[in-house]
Amino acid sequence: MMKRVSKAERWALITGGRTRPLVPHEATEVSLLADLLADPSTWAEPRAGLEEEVVHAVANDAPTLHLATEPQPAPPSRWHRRAAIIGGAAAAAIIMVALVAGTFARHTQARIEYDAQLEATALVPGAHASAGVLHSAAGFRVVLDAHDLAPLPPGHYYEAWLKKADGTAVPIGTFSSSQDYVTLWAGASPDQFPIMTVTIEATDNNQASSGQVVLVGQLHPV
Amino acid sequence: MPLELVDTAALEDFSRRDPGAVRAVYRAYGGLVYAVAYRVLGRPDLAEEATQQTFVRAWQAADRLDPNRDPGPWLATIAKRAALDIHRREARRKTNPLDDVAADHPAVITLPPDMDTLDSVWQVRRAIEALPPDEAAIVRLQHLDGITHTEIAAKLGIALGTVKSRSHRAHTKLAALLGHLREPAS
Repeated sequence: MMKRVSKAERWALITGGRTRPLVPHEATEVSLLADLLADPSTWAEPRAGLEEEVVHAVANDAPTLHLATEPQPAPPSRWHRRAAIIGGAAAAAIIMVALVAGTFARHTQARIEYDAQLEATALVPGAHASAGVLHSAAGFRVVLDAHDLAPLPPGHYYEAWLKKADGTAVPIGTFSSSQDYVTLWAGASPDQFPIMTVTIEATDNNQASSGQVVLVGQLHPV
Repeated sequence: MPLELVDTAALEDFSRRDPGAVRAVYRAYGGLVYAVAYRVLGRPDLAEEATQQTFVRAWQAADRLDPNRDPGPWLATIAKRAALDIHRREARRKTNPLDDVAADHPAVITLPPDMDTLDSVWQVRRAIEALPPDEAAIVRLQHLDGITHTEIAAKLGIALGTVKSRSHRAHTKLAALLGHLREPAS
């Protein structure tokens, strides 16, 4: 049966041929190092197959990011054409956004000038959204109809952004749930910022995007 | 810590979101990320999920990566957040009343390590990865398995003196990489 090396003996290995006693902060560091060297997590190795899974997960995310970095030419789509393509549920969502946006339009004399379908990233598979943008004298009102975004823990929220192809982004508002329509405001034109994203942010006083993109899509002129 | 785990060219490719660079960055930092995640989550499946999320998040934020700087601290931050997010998610799962489960039941919620400890995990793991494999193996047998020099020599089939010299070299390097835990050699 093998003998277990005591913690004191392991301390001696770490400190080597020390000739004076450890001062308190040194003892704390040696103790921490001894604990970490004896902790299985320090030595834990991932499965060999995880590399392929990581590469695959990133690759699956790549088309979304490709959209975010290289703007695609705007297809000649319209609300009704896209609705016919993407099917009943999503079409209903689009129609609802159009109706809501239309209500806004009647009140403000504005009209829907851009629309977008937003797709989920790997962070929230299954989520989806559509958006309509109205232009008024006050700016661009963005009506977002998102579905199946998970409730966030306290201290976290969703934030919507408009982005340029070079990554420059402007925040257009925050929200906490996809259970209702979300109205956002942009001072920047979708002509210059044609990519719309939604990220998860923390209330950490850091105003920069976390990079945790959950929805992304391209705004097209209607 | 002056350790170059991945070359600048690969980091430049990663920052440009070249998919070919993902593998190089994973091979350099995958073990580090996994170790931190495992420390937080204590389960291989969840640690793997956190590792995967770390690299996806890093990929999504790759344009913020400076290829001329060590990406370790940046990746460590992402890894800690990914692991803690999963820890919080798991903690929210419906569980039985505490009276119904044993204290050591895996469903019993435990607090994650603090950020400083996770930084230490990252640094120690990185120092270990910088050791030659034969020296790292001896350090592992001494500290994780807790066996003596004599037993290590028998287990590895090498001379006792070789075990002692490798152990001494390894701990000297660890002390140098991790700071000031030893007196300067006289």
